[in-house]
Amino acid sequence: MKQPGAWRAVERDISRRTFLKAGGGVAAAAGLLSACGGGTAGPGSPNASAVQIASPTNPVRWPIHDDVPMIASGLKPEAGSTLKIYNYADYLSPRVIKNFERDYSVNVELATFNDTEEAIGKIASGGLGYDIYFPSYDQIGKLVAAKLVQPLNQDYLANISSVWPQFTDPWYDLGWQYSVPYTTYTTGVGWRTDQVNTDVASLPNPYDALWDPSVADKIAIIDDWHVAMAMVLLREGNYDINSESSEDIALIRTRLLELAAATDPKVTITMYNDLPAGQLGLCQMWSGDVVNAVYYLPKGQRPDILRYWFPEDGRGMVDNDLMMILAGGQNPVAAHYFLNYLLDEQVSLANFGFTGYQPPQNVINPTRLVEDGYLPENLRTATVLPEWFDSGTRLLGMPIEVEQQWLNVWQEFKAGA
Amino acid sequence: MSAMTTNRVRRFAGFRRAPVLTTVTAVYLLWSLVPVLIAVAFSFNDGRSRTQWQGFSLRWYVGDPLRSVLHDDALQTALLHTFRLGLIVTLITVPLGTLLALGLDRWRGRLPAGANFLVLLSFVLPEVLLAVSLLFVATTLTSTFVTPVRLGTVGQVIGLVTFQLSYPVIIVRARLLTIGRHYEEAAVDLGASPLTAIRRVLLPMTAPAIIASAVLVFADVIDNFVLVRYLSGGASTEPVSVKIYNTARAAPTPALNAVATLVLVASLLAVTLGYLAWRRFTRDEASAGGLGAFTGEA
Amino acid sequence: MPDRLPRGGSPAPRWLWPALAAPGTAWLLVFLVAPMYLVAAILFGTIDPILRRPIPVWNPADWDPTQFQYVWSRLSGADGFFGPALLRTALYVGTASVLCLLIAYPVAYYAARIADRRRGMLLAALIAPFWISYMMRMLAWVNLLQNDGLVNQLITLGGLFDTEIDWLGGRATTVVLGLTYGYVPYMILPLYAGLDRIPASMIEAGRDLGANRFQTWRRVTWPMSRPAVVTAVILTCLPMLGDYFTSDLLSGNPRTSMVGNLINSAVLTPGQTGQAAAFVLLLLLVSIVPMGLYIRVTRDGEATRT
Repeated sequence: MKQPGAWRAVERDISRRTFLKAGGGVAAAAGLLSACGGGTAGPGSPNASAVQIASPTNPVRWPIHDDVPMIASGLKPEAGSTLKIYNYADYLSPRVIKNFERDYSVNVELATFNDTEEAIGKIASGGLGYDIYFPSYDQIGKLVAAKLVQPLNQDYLANISSVWPQFTDPWYDLGWQYSVPYTTYTTGVGWRTDQVNTDVASLPNPYDALWDPSVADKIAIIDDWHVAMAMVLLREGNYDINSESSEDIALIRTRLLELAAATDPKVTITMYNDLPAGQLGLCQMWSGDVVNAVYYLPKGQRPDILRYWFPEDGRGMVDNDLMMILAGGQNPVAAHYFLNYLLDEQVSLANFGFTGYQPPQNVINPTRLVEDGYLPENLRTATVLPEWFDSGTRLLGMPIEVEQQWLNVWQEFKAGA
Repeated sequence: MSAMTTNRVRRFAGFRRAPVLTTVTAVYLLWSLVPVLIAVAFSFNDGRSRTQWQGFSLRWYVGDPLRSVLHDDALQTALLHTFRLGLIVTLITVPLGTLLALGLDRWRGRLPAGANFLVLLSFVLPEVLLAVSLLFVATTLTSTFVTPVRLGTVGQVIGLVTFQLSYPVIIVRARLLTIGRHYEEAAVDLGASPLTAIRRVLLPMTAPAIIASAVLVFADVIDNFVLVRYLSGGASTEPVSVKIYNTARAAPTPALNAVATLVLVASLLAVTLGYLAWRRFTRDEASAGGLGAFTGEA
Repeated sequence: MPDRLPRGGSPAPRWLWPALAAPGTAWLLVFLVAPMYLVAAILFGTIDPILRRPIPVWNPADWDPTQFQYVWSRLSGADGFFGPALLRTALYVGTASVLCLLIAYPVAYYAARIADRRRGMLLAALIAPFWISYMMRMLAWVNLLQNDGLVNQLITLGGLFDTEIDWLGGRATTVVLGLTYGYVPYMILPLYAGLDRIPASMIEAGRDLGANRFQTWRRVTWPMSRPAVVTAVILTCLPMLGDYFTSDLLSGNPRTSMVGNLINSAVLTPGQTGQAAAFVLLLLLVSIVPMGLYIRVTRDGEATRT
């Protein structure tokens, strides 16, 4: 474990002077640091990662910055404007977009990213003018601290009343000042019965299947360092998936290298296509993707070959994605209208039909998704229950030096050593 | 022997003379072109499969109300941006490169040797190096210093011009070498000023090379991937190649094949037109630089 | 009517040629050379602690070698998890280059020396892939190599046998063949140009002296085409060294990661930008030898002709 020491040294070396020299967006960060620490607690101290870490036990109300104001109430969408949306690919229904364009006379331009780390890097570089971003909840702190997002004017967002109450004052954003919920999902294991003879769900530890070459030939895990590495800890029965312990991180490393040696998994986020196409037999998977996979099955292929496992007690990764409005966008009013549009019951159901990701809408009865025709019987396990947000594990932000240790392991794994 | 060859024998002369080489060449041509032709064919598929033929249709070009090239704004944006980059970059690169070629050809000394080195360097430098370094410029310097390199069209154009500049330089220089200096000197002897000599003699005579490099730059730019991806500023500045990369491994419809086919057609059209123009300019000459120019082996 | 020209024009003023060359040279200095310095400034710079974006340090006296050492120490040895990717890159690029040469040389030879009447057509067909976008050609193969794609349909004779091969599941073979397919056109052109330039009289002389076709090739053509081979191999190798998209599209598996993939994933990951910078400079160092060789060969060519 030599890397962390080296990286701490890097952080120690960042002096305020360097910040001021670099200026610009970085200066904003420096300003924030000095604001938080009264100018004395510079980044020299090891806990200088000025961003608070929100968690269910530490709910956070993010600061509102004077220089990033919210928009006034009662405005109309910017006429003839082009609303720029930044999202994962295939994670927003084209028809929903078309309808919004028609109803509000606004053009919508969709840009896509592969992972949210990359996305934040691009947003922070400035000048791209994206209006709406779809992050996971662990990124809010950074986005607020760097003044990349703007506070929401809730007057525009009346449809918030239709979502699960727990998301109207969530621990990751008390008072939903910056975010509204988009979708919910679990992270489990998906497979095809025509390629996998074992009933993965009935294994003593279903995660083991990913490590077992006798179960399936073509295996993949999710290309997101935290999601993939947290799964390794869950397999070990360790529910502290944001662990700061070097032993845990070392264990993840060992297990990941074992995984690579045993089953040579692909690392991708396109399971919703690769599993139905037969390029994968078994994979770590988001529940929304396995639902979506049904629509990507080749013609003539029966949908009942798809299976999904998630711990029945809900003790696995249960997450939700958000919609936020970026400070650098040109169309904040239209962006508010778009958020409200997607919170609408019917619209979000239509979107569910395209993405396979379950919106946290009161109108959906989660125990009856199969009966109500949202899910096929064989994918009943892909349901997301509201109470799982209490039992499940959440992916949280980490202190920067810890995160760096995780990232180094991930990089080693991805280098294919 | 040649006197008595019939047409029939002539046709297979290559095969007779070198059966192995002929076979290798034929197999190579099949191997290099058939996959692309199949991809083009599937752009006319009636179903959404890229592997199962389901009948001919123009669905992915015009028919499909949501996802055809005609109706999918994202694909149209990509297509337009592809051609926009091709045009702008060609218009900047070719004059810049032609001037540089003229200058380097006549200017003697250490400095031009250094400049020449830079040109050759930009010709062989792995593209990813240039792309990453310009990405760093765009993402770390914008907030601090004034630099024109910005993510989006401007950054892409700057990157592409830098990467393509060597083509006109190398091709035009090769042409200048074949022309020699006699014509220009003759013009000066007849009383032309040096600038007039360049304008009236040298530039017309290098026209074939200029056309060739313009075609080359245009066709290369609309196919570019590495630079334009790193320097793109979001969906509106992602050309077709980036769209292909983003979706090829996910779940693209044959509309992707359709839009790629359109770029391919544009490329071949540009090359054909360029070739015809080049022929017009060089029909009186036995040799006009030849293919060597295309390889940088001036 | 042409303009009336003053008699006895003066020779070009000394400033004319430098002035013509200046804009292009300045462009290359600003947009090619200067950014390379920024790469070094980032490699030896620091990182801001919130978004972990790089902060370049301009003064070499203040340079911090931490990030450089981090990468350096992981190139080989116990922690050397970057090592395999580097070796793999060398292996893939080497194999693909050899394959390219084995394919391109005979084809270029045929086009330059044997094809006669329909040479124009043949050349056009040979050059065609050169004009077809690399991504389009990879897309073609991604489609063909799907599990139910045409390649598997051919291999299994339309489903008679059950030997479906998962081509896109992270196979080195697929990546190397993809590289070969992608870069072969870049090899054919310089080879053709080189072979075409060898005077027919030299070869006829070889024949007249009683050598057979192979001997002529070995004694005359091959030595004379060697500079073209060197150029062709360099022009193919260098871009291949930085390739990441072929492996991404045709495999997507860490087991086929190349240096380009390391750069590509680090450059977009906050906090690892410095590592991307390290790989970029490493690649630059590795490329310098072949680039120098190329520039020398080219200059020699110029010298002999002027």
